[in-house]
Order: sequence, then structure tokens, then C-alpha cells
Amino acid sequence: MSATLKSPLLPTCGTLRSIEEIAPDNFLYRFKFTDKTLSSCMPGQFVQLWLPGVGESAISICSGKTGDTLELLIRRVGRVTTSAAKMTEGQIVGLRGPFGRGFPVEHFRGKSVCMVAGGCGVAPLRGLWQYLLDHRCDYDRLTLVYGMRRPSDMLFAREFKEMAKRKDIDLLLSSENLPPEDKTVVPMQHGMVTAVLHSAPLAPDYQIAVCGPPVMYKFVVRDLRRRGVPDENMWLSLERHMKCGIGKCGHCFVSGKLSCQCGPVFRLDELKGLPEAIECE
Amino acid sequence: MQRCFYFAKADFPRFFELMRSFGPVHAPVAVSSASSSFMPVSGVDQINMQALRTILPPKKLFYPPQEPLVSFSEAGFEQTAPDTAPQVLFGVHPCDLAGLAILDKIFVAHPGDAHYMSRRQSTLVVGLSCLPDPNCFCTSMGCGGAPARGFDLFLTDLDKGYFVQVGTPAGLSLLSPAYEYIRPAKTEQTDQYKEFWQKREECFVSGFQGDNLPAIMDVESDHPMWQELGSRCLSCGNCVMVCPTCYCFDMVDTLSLSGTCGERCRQWDGCQFNGFAKVAGDFNFRATAVERYKFWFRHKLHGFEDPYGDKTCVGCGRCRVSCPADIDRIVEMVPRLAGK
Ligand code: SF4
Ligand code: SF4
Ligand code: FES
Repeated sequence: MSATLKSPLLPTCGTLRSIEEIAPDNFLYRFKFTDKTLSSCMPGQFVQLWLPGVGESAISICSGKTGDTLELLIRRVGRVTTSAAKMTEGQIVGLRGPFGRGFPVEHFRGKSVCMVAGGCGVAPLRGLWQYLLDHRCDYDRLTLVYGMRRPSDMLFAREFKEMAKRKDIDLLLSSENLPPEDKTVVPMQHGMVTAVLHSAPLAPDYQIAVCGPPVMYKFVVRDLRRRGVPDENMWLSLERHMKCGIGKCGHCFVSGKLSCQCGPVFRLDELKGLPEAIECE
Repeated sequence: MQRCFYFAKADFPRFFELMRSFGPVHAPVAVSSASSSFMPVSGVDQINMQALRTILPPKKLFYPPQEPLVSFSEAGFEQTAPDTAPQVLFGVHPCDLAGLAILDKIFVAHPGDAHYMSRRQSTLVVGLSCLPDPNCFCTSMGCGGAPARGFDLFLTDLDKGYFVQVGTPAGLSLLSPAYEYIRPAKTEQTDQYKEFWQKREECFVSGFQGDNLPAIMDVESDHPMWQELGSRCLSCGNCVMVCPTCYCFDMVDTLSLSGTCGERCRQWDGCQFNGFAKVAGDFNFRATAVERYKFWFRHKLHGFEDPYGDKTCVGCGRCRVSCPADIDRIVEMVPRLAGK
């Protein structure tokens, strides 16, 4: 009996199909796989990408549906992600997942949803907007707020250009640096993400999905509260050091909660009294 | 299933051979004048029957400090087969039995850890009674009484013989070939057994009222003691390694010289290490030793929302004796927080 037990840390095989550079140092990888469980990926969940001999890295799902191909946005920062740069088409990788609790797309049904992305936090939210747009008639008003450092950092520019033509989603983009000579693919305001959030159409019954660098959350939360949005309507995707994804390795504790199990998407009121949740050094 | 037996100390060598007939026996062996380690033994004289806490807890047998989980080559990935040869773990005290029960909860929770579980299933656990030293406080943590589960067999030392509690069918079948000298316990032996555990309770010189502990940890989460002691922490991680209930790990890849095959290994890790809660972009959610020290104690004395969900200290005293900064004195810290 014991000999046939399968280790939950054993990855399944995936094959690299393509790499597309979508911004400096940011690449969209497409992996094909046959494992059925991976097909059930939902926006906000994550998978573990393993480069044998190098290591594993937790990466958020960034497409609305998965089928037999995973799209992962990889920013070349760490050891694993830098090694991913040397990969060639057809190369085999290990994949595990999906893990964690994603955005509550069922709970969002019939409601208006505002997505707030900062920097690379736009990748997990891409899964959400694609999902919501794929099921557009199930949702009320959709807004997407996206702040970046400079226009050249913009991820998924082509997709934004297409979305800008749609009437059924409002886009509000901002850049902290906006040289006047810079031509941007979609109109942008000058300033922090919180500045554009200010002008976003919002009502207290809106559902808000937030993902960005750790420092961003407290400012976004403060502004949303000022506009009357209750904590129960704010959904935050928190980045933690996920090693195992299955609630065993202890790396992802947010105060006393395992974020690979209870998160990475948390409803703000679930984080009350958890001092480590939205602050950091 | 509790059935009780008794055998004379003179028959312990025979009992030892009985255990050996099941598989290699791991037991506490004195490795210095003051410390013991669980090691494979081939004779009774190697066993330190008086050993209190071993340097590392028995978790190392089921969850080794480093172990390959997956191997890879050009042919693909494969799970490494955990060693499932039958073995016996002898001499496990009540605190360590409680510690194993906590690790079981973590590793058996869905999705179960194949490597841990298969070793656990192939190991016969034979517990042994003990008498506390001043660093023991298992009774305060609610796991210091006579154990009723978590073992295949449990031996209580009664002067002239051992009182044997049977915990599982596997334990019972180990005894069956030896009914000639392992006899059902008589009334007077059962009385002696009860007396032993009653007297043992009185031997504790350290301790505190453990029921209030989680609440006190909540109320005193900003007590100056945390800063005062935590600021002396060296972040060495000794406490984590020796704790019978610490289960955190890291995963690392090792590559063969040819660069085409290798292994994915799991190794013990701990929240007292500086980089433990670092995320991409160099954000560290617990950047100071004080925060990490406090966090570790919160898991031990209050508990987290992990599959165990309760405080995870079993009062073995290992952190106390292993901390180079001498700041893991739970038996003094708790009364201080509790205001006694
Ligand atoms: S916290 Fe210390 S005393 Fe408690 S179980 Fe862990 S090592 Fe033993
Ligand atoms: S053993 Fe002591 S000094 Fe070392 S990490 Fe633990 S508390 Fe800090
Ligand atoms: S990532 Fe390992 S416990 Fe959550």
C-alpha cells in the first residue's frame, strides 16, 4: 500500500511551447501539459514551476482558462526565473498545482468588480479579467485600475489596446513617471495607482480585487475605506514565499495562517489582527 | 485495544531480540556524558535506558534532516522510493510520542506526505517511561501523563520488571511468540503501574498552568519580555532543529556532474532563520530576530491555523538545553507572562 503512495511533491511534466517578451525582463511562457488536475486552474491560484536542477518557483496563474496550456508570466529576478531565460522550446519542466484559493468569481456573480493592479501584480489579475470578460453577462460593471513605474514597464500592452476598444470594461492606467514625449498604447494619467483609483467609479457594493507589491496594499485599502467600501468587499492577493503549496513547508505563514491554503487571495476582514499581512520591511 | 502485560527485567534481552526479529532497532545511545541520540543498536548494552531527551527527537527517523524526494534524468521525473523496511523505534518518552502525534497530523493531512507516511507505517514504536529533570515540563503542556495512544507498545519501568501497554494489533502480534515470559499483568503490577505514574507527577520541579497559555499569549503579545529576550537571539535555528514538532522545510536541487540528472531534496528549515519569510524583490516579512523569535514561540505556545491547529510545544526541554543564548526558558517565561 505504502509503496504506491504518490508524493504530492512529485511534479507532472510540461513542455515549453513558446516564450514571448512582453516588457523588458518580463516574459510570457506557454507550457503544454497532459495532467488533468492542472486544467482546473482558476484566477488567483498559483502553480509551482520546476526547472530540474535549478529549483521551483511559485507563479500565479495569469490566464482566464487553462485547458491544456498554462500561460505564466515570468519576471527574471530570482535564480529560477533567470534560468528560465535560457530555456528553449520543447524543453521539459515540472509543474504542480493548482494551489490555493483564488479570486471568488462565483461570489462576484451579478456584482460590479473593480480590479486594482500595481506593477507585476497585473499578472494574476489578468487571469481574473479574462475570466470575467469570458463570462461577461454574469457580471455588472467592470473596472481595471493599473499603476506602473514608467510606461515601458507596461505588461500585456497589446491586450490593453484591444480592451480599450471595448465598452464593457473601464480602464484606468497610471504611471509614476510619465515623460510628455512618451507615447503610450492606451491613455495614462501621471501618478500613483491611488491617484487613478480616486477617479474610478466606485460604490460601496463593488467587489475589489487587489494585487501589487507589498507596500501598495495599505494605501489602496486606506483609500477604498474612505470611499465607503467595506472590508468584506476587498480581496487581496498576497505574495508569500510559497515552497510547497500544500500546507506543509511553513514558508507561507501570514501570522498564523497558511497563505497557500487560506490564500493567496484573502478577504480583508480575514486579515484583521494579523500584523504581518499587509505590512513589510 | 489496551491489553496489559508484564515481564521481568531479566528478560529484557529476550524482549530486545523480539524487537530485532521485527527489524533493526533504533534506541537512545549515550554519545557523551550528558547526551544521547537515537541510533541503530545491536545489543542491549548499547542502549542508554536512563536517557532523557535525545539530542534530536525521533522525528529524524520519519522525516530525515535531508532526503531526496524526486529524481530526474533525461527520461523524466520519478519519485524516490522511501525506505520502507520494517524497523523498531525503542525508548520513546511521552513528550516525544505527543510530538509524533502532532507531526502525524501535519504530514497525514491531505495531500499526505508519501515519504513520511510510509516510514511511519513500517516502524514499530515502543515507548518507555521516564522521570523528569528540571528542564522537563510535559505535564504543563498536557502530554505528561501515562500515554494511552501513539505507540505500538509502551513500557513502564517498575523496578523489577516492565509493565507493557499494547497500543496496536502490530504491537500485540510482536508479543505473541513470547507469552512464555511476557505474561498478562497481575493486579499488583497494575497497582504498581498506577503508583508509578502518580509519583512521577510529583517529581516535576518545573511547570505552570498550561490551560490559559493560548489566551495569555494573545493578551501578552506585546509584553516587553519578547523584545528583551528576542534581541539576544542569534538566529542559529538550534531550537527549530531540536524541537520534536517543528516541521518546516526547504527544497533544493542537486545536480550530477554530467548536469543531466539529479535529485530534488527536502531539508529541514526553520522560521528563526533570517531569509525564511523573504519574497521576491527582497521583501522580508519577518526581518528582525525579535519578530522571528516571537513568531516561533507563538506557534509553540499558542498555535496556528495549520492542520494541527493547537499549541505545538510538548514540554521536552530540548530548546532550553540547545539554545546558545539561553533565551528558551519556557518554564520561566510563561509564569512571567502569566504574572506569577
Ligand atoms: S518548544 Fe522546546 S520544549 Fe517545547 S517541544 Fe519544542 S523543543 Fe521541546
Ligand atoms: S536556539 Fe536560541 S539563539 Fe538559536 S534561534 Fe533559537 S532562540 Fe535564537
Ligand atoms: S507553501 Fe508550504 S506551507 Fe504554504
